[in-house]
Amino acid sequence: MVVVTLVTYRVKVPRNFRLLEELEEGQKGVGDGTVSWGLEDDEDIMLTRWTGMIIGPPRTIYENRMYSLKVECGPRYPESPPFVRFVTKINLNGVHNSNGVVDTRAVAALAKWQNSYSIRVVLQELRRLMMCKENMKLPQPPEGQVFSN
Amino acid sequence: MAESSGTDPTVDSNVVENAAKDRTMIVVTVKTPKDKEEIAILEDSSVAQFKEEISKRFNAKLDQLVLIFAGKILKDGDTLNQHGIKDGLTVHLVIKTAPKATSGSTSQNSASSSGTPQANSSSSASSPVPNASTPPGTGPAIQPPNLLSGFGDLSSLSGMGMGSANFMELQQQMQRQLMSNPEMLSQIMDNPLVQNMMSNPDLMRQMIVTNPQMQQLMERNPEISHMLNNPELMRQTMELARNPAMMQEMMRNQDRALSNLESIPGGYNALRRMYTDIQEPMFSAAREQFGNNPFSALGGNLDSGVQPSRTENREPLPNPWGPPGTAPSESRGTGSSTTTSSNGGTAPSVSSLPNPLGINASGLGNGVFSSPGMQSLMQQISENPQLMQNMLSAPYMRSMMQSLAQNPDLASQGSNPSADVSPSQQQQQLMQQMLQMFAGGAVTPEVRFQQQLDQLSAMGFLNREANLQALIATGGDINAAIERLLGSQPS
Repeated sequence: MVVVTLVTYRVKVPRNFRLLEELEEGQKGVGDGTVSWGLEDDEDIMLTRWTGMIIGPPRTIYENRMYSLKVECGPRYPESPPFVRFVTKINLNGVHNSNGVVDTRAVAALAKWQNSYSIRVVLQELRRLMMCKENMKLPQPPEGQVFSN
Repeated sequence: MAESSGTDPTVDSNVVENAAKDRTMIVVTVKTPKDKEEIAILEDSSVAQFKEEISKRFNAKLDQLVLIFAGKILKDGDTLNQHGIKDGLTVHLVIKTAPKATSGSTSQNSASSSGTPQANSSSSASSPVPNASTPPGTGPAIQPPNLLSGFGDLSSLSGMGMGSANFMELQQQMQRQLMSNPEMLSQIMDNPLVQNMMSNPDLMRQMIVTNPQMQQLMERNPEISHMLNNPELMRQTMELARNPAMMQEMMRNQDRALSNLESIPGGYNALRRMYTDIQEPMFSAAREQFGNNPFSALGGNLDSGVQPSRTENREPLPNPWGPPGTAPSESRGTGSSTTTSSNGGTAPSVSSLPNPLGINASGLGNGVFSSPGMQSLMQQISENPQLMQNMLSAPYMRSMMQSLAQNPDLASQGSNPSADVSPSQQQQQLMQQMLQMFAGGAVTPEVRFQQQLDQLSAMGFLNREANLQALIATGGDINAAIERLLGSQPS
């Protein structure tokens, strides 16, 4: 049941198909093993709420830490980018210090979102940000803390 | 009878074994950033049991293991079923290394405290260092060998790896950090203690020698031990090491010189040979060398002089400017006059190298190359073009040179303006040189690929032109060239 839009001549994959695909990828460990993602609740038929995990890149201050995130794919996903917020406390440019919400404008993948992007892309981009010079040495809160709310 | 399959002999044996609880084995892939393993486990196992299997397979302790599936951390008390882990799925594993070994991140929060245990372990291994470094000034009253404790981030690299078990790692980390952050480097170098230490050649020598890798290297390559025994050389290298910007500059210039020499006819192949001969040992060992000492080899020794260019990927292109008179191209002549004027301290002795490219050791590198060691090397090199060719043959060098040529900014950006002697203008000129050289083509490919051409014609590829083209395209790789030829030959 492929939906072809008359305007764009492009096959537009329905949202749920996409998300199911991403779910499968998450379970199969597609990618380099440094990020992981999956449904927050397996019963979530709308496939909206996801949890993500980023393994802190080596040789940075985030090394050896695991950062948990919440990703919310709205009804217009993948046309619109998902909402991402960190659960584990982190000090990273582009992440609100108070609640862990990731600023859409700060992350290239979110700011210039394309519908070919995916949750994995976002997580990997965040991980890449951790390796940037401006971030890789930021002092971090002690392990285990989470953002309130 | 049909129901109690457990006792029915006609039932499949598998079923008999699992019949009691209908359990099945599933195969789950466990992936770390480095590798992956497939682990068979009962479907209804708990995470704890799963971790047991994993710890056996990966040789890690249970509490070092962190399992992640679908973005969630698996807690010991959960079951695989709970998380929906089924046959064929992948679970991510992170093996937490002990905090001490990973230095970096953990110790940054507790600079002194983590620095201490390391310093302890390292201090025992190196006798001269603690003595030399007892004077205060290192920072918050930590062990003497903890030279870097004053510098925040580098505190974890305390002891500068004085022969401690973590020597290699510390070294690597330090180098990495130093490379990436020039300010840090200059900070360290400015530390009077460091300077003190560095000006003591014996100390440096000792530090280098205690590196097991260096020891290996020394066995294989006795020239290196000669090099280490030459105090003059050590001192020079220390000068270099002291000033990281100078070091960068020197490396760049050295590279420029090297690539220039490539164009000496006939030398290319020999250089390549030489390079491969010494490539391996030095490459791996030189990485471990303290304070980027590859140049110490460069100074005093023809053979091992090749390695520095090999080890430092950011090697620059040689300064094509020679003294007026021997310079082959006019533009180089103008360049060199600027260079030589700025080379206040260079020895004029080497000005008349019988070198078609006019690579003058004293003219090289904006004053930094003035070390007599470097000059003698360049002299030797120019007299033995083979050496140079070998040095340059590394494919990466070509691509690097090309990229440098294409991006003049790159070269001029490398040097740290604060300590540098050379104006960036010279570098711009240099880049143009390089461009010219590349555009004009170095040694005639024909000469370069003579050997390969012969081989190809022996194989039956009689079209010399085509062979040559193919060889040029593949950079001398016979196999690739053959493929090209076969692909383009009209059938």
